[in-house]
Formats: sequence, structure tokens, C-alpha cells
Amino acid sequence: MMANTDITSKTMDGMGPHGTKVGLLRVLGPAHVWALGVGIVLVGEYMGWNFAVGKGGAYAALIACWFAGILYSCVAMIDSEVTSTVAAAGGQYTQAKHIVGPLMAFNVGLYLVFAYTMLEAGNAITLGYLISVAADMTGATEPLDQRPFIILAIMFLAWLNYRGVLATLTFNLIITAFAFCAILVLFFASAPWSEGSMLAHGELMSGQAALPYGWLGVLAAMHFGLWFYLGIEGTTQAAEEVRSPARALPFGTLAGIMTLLIAATLTWYICVGYLPWEYLGDGVNGAVAPLFSAAQMTGSDALIIILGFGTLFATLASANGCINDASRAWFSMGRDHYLPQWFGAVHPQYRTPYRSIIFLVPIALIFALGAPLDQVITFSILSGLLGYTFMPINVILFRRKWPLDTIKRGYEHPFHPIPAILLIALCSVTYFAVFLGYGTQLIAMVSFYIVVSLWFHFWRYRFVKRADQFTMPWPKPRGY
Amino acid sequence: MWPMIETGAWVLSGLFALHMVWDWYKTDTTYSEDVLTSSREGEIEAMVEQHKLNG
Amino acid sequence: MARYIPPKQSKIGQMIDVVVLLILSIGALYIPLWLGLAGSSKLPLPADNPTWESLGQNEVMVERWNALGFADPASAHDMITARFDYSFTWGALALMVVVIVGYFVMMLRLSEKEYREVIAEKFDGK
Repeated sequence: MMANTDITSKTMDGMGPHGTKVGLLRVLGPAHVWALGVGIVLVGEYMGWNFAVGKGGAYAALIACWFAGILYSCVAMIDSEVTSTVAAAGGQYTQAKHIVGPLMAFNVGLYLVFAYTMLEAGNAITLGYLISVAADMTGATEPLDQRPFIILAIMFLAWLNYRGVLATLTFNLIITAFAFCAILVLFFASAPWSEGSMLAHGELMSGQAALPYGWLGVLAAMHFGLWFYLGIEGTTQAAEEVRSPARALPFGTLAGIMTLLIAATLTWYICVGYLPWEYLGDGVNGAVAPLFSAAQMTGSDALIIILGFGTLFATLASANGCINDASRAWFSMGRDHYLPQWFGAVHPQYRTPYRSIIFLVPIALIFALGAPLDQVITFSILSGLLGYTFMPINVILFRRKWPLDTIKRGYEHPFHPIPAILLIALCSVTYFAVFLGYGTQLIAMVSFYIVVSLWFHFWRYRFVKRADQFTMPWPKPRGY
Repeated sequence: MWPMIETGAWVLSGLFALHMVWDWYKTDTTYSEDVLTSSREGEIEAMVEQHKLNG
Repeated sequence: MARYIPPKQSKIGQMIDVVVLLILSIGALYIPLWLGLAGSSKLPLPADNPTWESLGQNEVMVERWNALGFADPASAHDMITARFDYSFTWGALALMVVVIVGYFVMMLRLSEKEYREVIAEKFDGK
């Protein structure tokens, strides 16, 4: 599809047909897309997923990990197809705007911003914890004040994002690759095939530890099972900055989900082999950073240092990608006047949505400094989950309004509509899983979206130009 | 040693924040709002391929 | 169809809109926390003089607890016995289903209404 068109042309760079004077900079390749996707998510293996162990035990966490893997494979396939035609900063927000309608788009935009900003806050909390452990291990006499480190992490990454996307994502590529390799190192160092291995799956998962909540626990674990992969769909946010989006986005996204399936399974295998499930499953007082805790159990200084840096890099890469994605979504909504148009500004030198980046900093700080980790993660997961519920609706309408012969796709996902139906079924299960144990959060969150939807429909939408929102050069949808 | 690192983290956070705010102020006062918010969606498709409008 | 010309929003109006959104979103997370309604209600089961056996821990588990810095059963007791309460009422489940399904139905209907306007203006409004 892209073969005979050079969109890397210097003269066309950042120049749009609609009078864009200062646009986002088109500099990224498929490796950056992979780094953005995996970089955001990989921290999910370093912290947070272990709450799934707490909700259902070790086996339940593995089942949840794989079912969530199926859910995300559907997400990645569906998303790749739509994105290979709707390539614009804002990702799913722009898709919703063209395929479902403005109010849906506004909601999707908010899902993205909240999922990523809360994930960013979760990363900062983990980073603060990690530094405090480092202080303890190096013999600090007083308990460490974690706040300056939480603030520094967010400020530094916001600053990096402010200054330009290429450096930001190149930085991500390096630290993500390191964090991924650290998991492999811990796996091989644990030598599961040898007699003297410290991994003790049989003993640690026997008796009451096998399925402490029975099968209901397996369902409940799906809640945090999403955390193994949450954020992989963020690759689409880079669409306006990728050199050949129709090729690089599906490739980077699908390679990303495969990387994560491997990393998630290895992580589960390592951690449940080292730690009792009650400790592993308590991510607030117990294993805040489970891979790091597992490394501590080995007693090897080298492994502790490698996994310590792995955790540190994973949180940084994730927070970095989150700032990138949340600010693009916020920027896109500002550009369309869904939010005050003031946010739709691009920095003329760095070519970044600088006002959106700055605006989201204090919000991330409020949650990173004031809320417990599992609550922040649940907030993020719920926003993500609402977004995944939107995707099957989106792709079914997409295929109906524009059948395959009306618009060329860079990628067509197979077996339609089975992935869409599977995805909606898995989402329903996950809503129920969140409901078990975190029901109030769920109701509060959805109520929030109901209230903002009404606010948007009856107030905010008056500032939006109607036809201008539809920017894709597509034919008129079927049935309108 | 750690109290010093803590102070360092506070100072660095402040510096990054100040730099962003300073640059933000400088940018907003140098360029007109029209230039800054001139970005529009959909530049890729228009450059890559024009689908026939048959509506 | 006539082209819709949106009103210009003043600087102050823009700021008010942002503040409204901020209050709503921070409220959505913090109100359940303040009211003490937020989930994760994991409560330990109290037990007097717990032993590793009474806590259901085998030798390997005990060795790991020791390595984690829990020297005696009493210190690990709270963490080991804490359990979520997964009992729920069908009423609460029905409420959740109604809220979520209702939310999506409302949103899709209002979206559809707005979408028809967009398409009409885009493709017929020349």
C-alpha cells in the first residue's frame, strides 16, 4: 500500500493538507513502535501483576495471564487493522471519532488519558519504593522520604518528552531491551532444569496454596491479569510520528504482544517458584516489585543489582511511554476542541504537544503521592477495560460501514468477527473479576464516565466543528 | 549520604520544572496562537493515498 | 444541510471547563477512598499463638518466610491469613450490569445522533 509513496520526504515533513504549519515530527521506525508498546507494558511484569496472585493464588494468576494474553491478541489484531487505515495521533480516539461518533471518541480519549496517567502514577510509586529499598540496603539510618524521587521521576520524563519524541523513544528502546533481558537472565540463573535449583513450585503451590479461593479466584484474578499487557494498544498513539505507519504500526504492535507473552509467562514461572503466594500476592506490604523480590531470594548480589536496575528501567520506560501517549490523546482532543483548543498546540522547535505534557504532570503527581498502588492500578485497568470494550464495537461498525472493498487496509485481521466476539466475552468476565473485591471502584468509575458524557453532549460539544472532525479521505459510510 | 541525595532530587525536580515552565512562557510569548495551534489531523492519508469519494 | 458554526470560547470559559473535568476525575478516584468504600478489603483472620503448621505452611514455605525476614509465625500471620471477601449479593451484581450496559447504550445512542450530523455535513453539505 505504501510502496510507491515517499512520506519521509523532507519537504513534506510535518506539512499537512489542512494548513498545518507546525506538526508533529515524523521520525520513528518499527523498533520505536515496539519500544513504545513493550516499554509501557513491561513494567507490568515487574510490579502489579502479582495482585492477581493475591486475588486467586498462583495457578489462578497463570490462567489469568494466558486468558488476558488471548484478550490482548484480539486487541492487537483489531487495533492493527483499524490503525493501519486511521493513522493519526490520538489512536483509538481518532478511530472512534470516524467510526462510532463524537461522544464515544470523547470517552475513548479520556480512557486513554486516565489509563496512561494512572499507570504513570503507579510507576512512580514503584520507583519510590525501589529507591527506599536501595537506601535500606546501603545502610541508611533514617527511613527515606520517597516523595522527592517520585516527583523527580515524573518531572524528568515530562522534561524529556517535552524536548522531543525521538530522543524519548530511543531512550525507551534501550532501557526496555535491558529490562527484558534482565528477566531472561534471572530465568537462566535460576536454572529450573538443574537439581540444585532454588525454584520450588511443587512445595510452594501445594495444599491450601493451590487454589486458595477455588475457581472463583481464577475469575477474580483476571482483574490484574490484564496488567501483564496493559498499554500495548498505545502503539497507535505514535501514528503521526512514525515514518510508515501502515507497515510499522501492525508490525511493532504484533511483535510487542509476542514479546510480552514470553515475558509474562517467564515472570510468573520465576516468581511463584521463589515466593510464597501470600507474600507475592500482597503488592502493598509484600512483594511490591516481585521480580526484584525473587532476585533477593537468590542471595546473589549480581542478580539483585540486575533486577533492581531492570525494575528501575521498566518503571522509567513505562512512565515515559505513558506521558507520551496520554499527552498525544489529550492534545488530539484539544485540537478538535473536544477540550479547550489551548491544548492543541505544538511546540514549534521540539514539535511536541508541550502544553498537554505540562498539564498532565500535576495530575500524575496527585495520584502518585496520594493513593495506594492497587487503587491506582485498578483505576488504570478499568479505563483500559472500557477501552477494550469499545474495540469490538468499533471493528464491527468499521467492517459494516466500510466493507473490505471500500477502503484499503494495511493489515486485515483474520476470522472476523470471532476476535471481536471473543474480546467482548473476555471483557465481560473481567468486569465481573473487578467487581469481586473492587466493586465500589467500578461503579464510581463508570458513574464518572456517565457524568462526563452528559457534560460533553449537552455542553462541551457546542464548541466542536461538525464536518471538520472527519479528516480521513474515506468514502461516505454505508447506511448514512 | 541519603539526606544529600534526597535534597539533590528535590533540586533537580525543581530545575526540570522550571526549565519547562520557562520554555513554555518563552514559546507562548514568541509565537502567535494561530501558529502554535495550526496542527491538523489526517495529513498522512492525504499524502499517501486519496480514496475516491463516492458519497 | 447548513454548516454548523461553533461559538468562540473565551479564555475563562476554557479554564472553567478544565477545572470541571479535573474535579470530576479526581473525585471519581478519591471519593471512594475518603468514604472508605474502596475495595481491596483484605482482612486477616485473627488466631492466637499461630504456628507454621496451623497456618498451613510446609517446610519450604517456612524457609522462604524466614528468608523474607519473617522469623516467627506471628509476624507472618496477618499476611498469610488475609483473604478477600468474594461474597456478593445478586442485587449488587445486577446494579453493576445495569450501570455498565446502561452507560454503553446511552453513549452509543448519543454518539450515533452526533455522528449522523457529522456525516450529513461532511458528505451532503457542500
